[in-house]
Amino acid sequence: MSTNMKMSRRQFAKGTVATAALAATGVLTRLPKVHAADPIELVHWSWLSASDAEVWTQMIQNFNDAHKDKGVQIKMETVPDDQYETKVLAAAASGQAPDFGWGTAGLHAQWAQDGVIVPLDDLSKQVGLDLADFSAFSISSSRYPKYDNKLFMIPMDLMTIQPEVNLDHVKEAGLDPDKFPTDGDTLIEWAKAMTKRDGDKVTRSGIMMTGSAVQPTITWSIVAAQMGFKRVSDDYKTAAQNPEAGKQAMQWVLDLFDKWKVSTRDVTNRYKAFGTGQGSIFWTGPWTLNGYVQQKLNFRSYAFPKIGSTLLTYLEEGGMELYVQKDTGRYEASMQAVKWLSDNSLLWTTKGRGASPRTSIQNNPQYKTAGLPWDLRGAFVEGVSYATLNQGVPVLAAQDFAPYAGDNFLAKTLDEVWNNKKSIDDAMTAIQTKWQSDLDEG
Amino acid sequence: MTASTTAEMSAPIAQQRRSGDGRTDWAGYLFVSFFTLPFLLFNVAPIFFGIAIAFTRWGIMGAPHWVGLKNFTNVLKDDWVAQAFTNTLLYGLIIVPGVVILGLIFALYVNKGWPLSGLARVLFFSPNVVSSTVIGLVWVWMLDTQFGLVNHYLGFLGIPNIPWITSTRWSLVGVSMASIWWDLGLAFILFLAALQDLPKELNEAAEVDGASPWQRLRFVILPQLRPVISMVITLQLIASLRIFSQVYVMTNGGPAGSSTSVIFYIYQTAIFRHLFGPASAVSMLLFTMILVVTALQRWLIREQ
Repeated sequence: MSTNMKMSRRQFAKGTVATAALAATGVLTRLPKVHAADPIELVHWSWLSASDAEVWTQMIQNFNDAHKDKGVQIKMETVPDDQYETKVLAAAASGQAPDFGWGTAGLHAQWAQDGVIVPLDDLSKQVGLDLADFSAFSISSSRYPKYDNKLFMIPMDLMTIQPEVNLDHVKEAGLDPDKFPTDGDTLIEWAKAMTKRDGDKVTRSGIMMTGSAVQPTITWSIVAAQMGFKRVSDDYKTAAQNPEAGKQAMQWVLDLFDKWKVSTRDVTNRYKAFGTGQGSIFWTGPWTLNGYVQQKLNFRSYAFPKIGSTLLTYLEEGGMELYVQKDTGRYEASMQAVKWLSDNSLLWTTKGRGASPRTSIQNNPQYKTAGLPWDLRGAFVEGVSYATLNQGVPVLAAQDFAPYAGDNFLAKTLDEVWNNKKSIDDAMTAIQTKWQSDLDEG
Repeated sequence: MTASTTAEMSAPIAQQRRSGDGRTDWAGYLFVSFFTLPFLLFNVAPIFFGIAIAFTRWGIMGAPHWVGLKNFTNVLKDDWVAQAFTNTLLYGLIIVPGVVILGLIFALYVNKGWPLSGLARVLFFSPNVVSSTVIGLVWVWMLDTQFGLVNHYLGFLGIPNIPWITSTRWSLVGVSMASIWWDLGLAFILFLAALQDLPKELNEAAEVDGASPWQRLRFVILPQLRPVISMVITLQLIASLRIFSQVYVMTNGGPAGSSTSVIFYIYQTAIFRHLFGPASAVSMLLFTMILVVTALQRWLIREQ
């Protein structure tokens, strides 16, 4: 082949400089002109994707409408749930973190240690956010005792797990919908009455369950806690207290499948299954309410029964975290935005999800009448008073302790029990060992 | 100017041109750099970064902390890692023969020009153009224990419902079925192209000599397809050992880790638990496994 295309070094250098000059010109002409009074655009990341996401989008829009002439706007970006944490970390590491985003109480001790999230005590005072208006429990849950007990999240909602019940199945079984069970034995009787079987196979679950992942894990966690099992001691030094209660709870879950036969391991999607009438009692969170209402499912929520010696249920507290910024001057603007969203969270806690952690919102006359009907919402709101099983344990390896999870250490260990691959005793030993080593790490 | 002077003048120039002295082919380097630089930056550099991270403790924030071989010793003791590797090898053992055998059968069918072979050509290849996520979502419903199509038709044969993706015994098979269906298209096209390239005379000669269709397939066609079969097996083996999307969408690695693959384990460890050191260590073990398995396979099916 001929070498007519050879270029001298001088020609190459000229070409490179010309190309670079063209590129720079293109960039320069695209640079926006900066005006003296440009509004601040706060970047907010949200991982909400269910029907509550629409309500949250409305909340952000309301903020932007109210602040059009005040020099601050929020730009919301939706990040998939399973990518959220990694993206926040990567963004923070490169100095590009969003201004604020959704967090869950007790799960970000590592972030507090690494400085990804900023403490909010002083910022709250600075913007006049009244922390006394929040329930003491919600504020204490948002603190990390190992990091000077500082506040790292402003609570936005309190979500409990409560049973939702298909009223058509209740009627079909001849049961009284006003007398939902308040103890474990009656609960099983109700479940048996509503279960449909084909021989030995459950074709309609009395109690909606799956054979692995989130549903049996959260069920075990609640029942175990009711029976007296404690994930960690109050001083966060000892793991898995009262393991016998934990073992009893594992047996209770197994009995749902194998002894009482009111549940089946064959459900793949529990939300869809309950929505299409394949299950009668489904304990879940308030994020499901909008979806089932839109589906016109005939259902009602009730208080979680007392299966063990103590009435309690699971609580997940969501809220706003501020992420580390190069320009610390942005924190005040972000905190002002969080304060506004919190002060105006009546919409969020009546139509979105969860109960409000704020007394002023709870005392609002519209709190019980706005949004979804009280016979759907009420149990989730009133249940906060006995929802003492938190998602987060404020240690570095918090994820290993989380009860509402499908693929963490706890769920994977328990999955082996539900599928008869590990004995109850071995599973409890594994849980004790791992959790203790997590606590020892800090 | 005399001829000798011209010759004297052109000799140094010719010598200069021969040695290439003073002129560098920068244009060539420039054209190649558009591929080479991004390749080095986004493919090669991350490999070395991953190898380095495998010897550290790192969770994105802060600098990596050197821990030596601790990540490797921990993952080698982890039962879930062992299960992930076992599952991955099983995926290879199920998916590769499935794809190769079915791909070859379909290619023979179309090559023979049997009824509806034109439509069959489209149908056999079409799963390959659909994304793995869509495949996974569709197959979740196809394999549903109560309402799935697969169990529905098996019911006509008197076979009771099989919990394809909710049982520890069947979850790996269920995911493999979806993978075979998805990967079939490429193998089919490769086999079809090879079949259409075979000289017809050999087959006709064998037919004239009285060889049965099975004998012609076994002694005439398959030996000629050996290079393509070897290539398909190699490609499919590598793809199966890297299976991820179907596991993620269909079973999330469960129940009880029974369908977890190594890549899925790495994803969970790195992305969910932010343990990049152990995840990188497992990646290196997977890389070694793929190298060994592929080399073994190439040696077993080496050309005579």
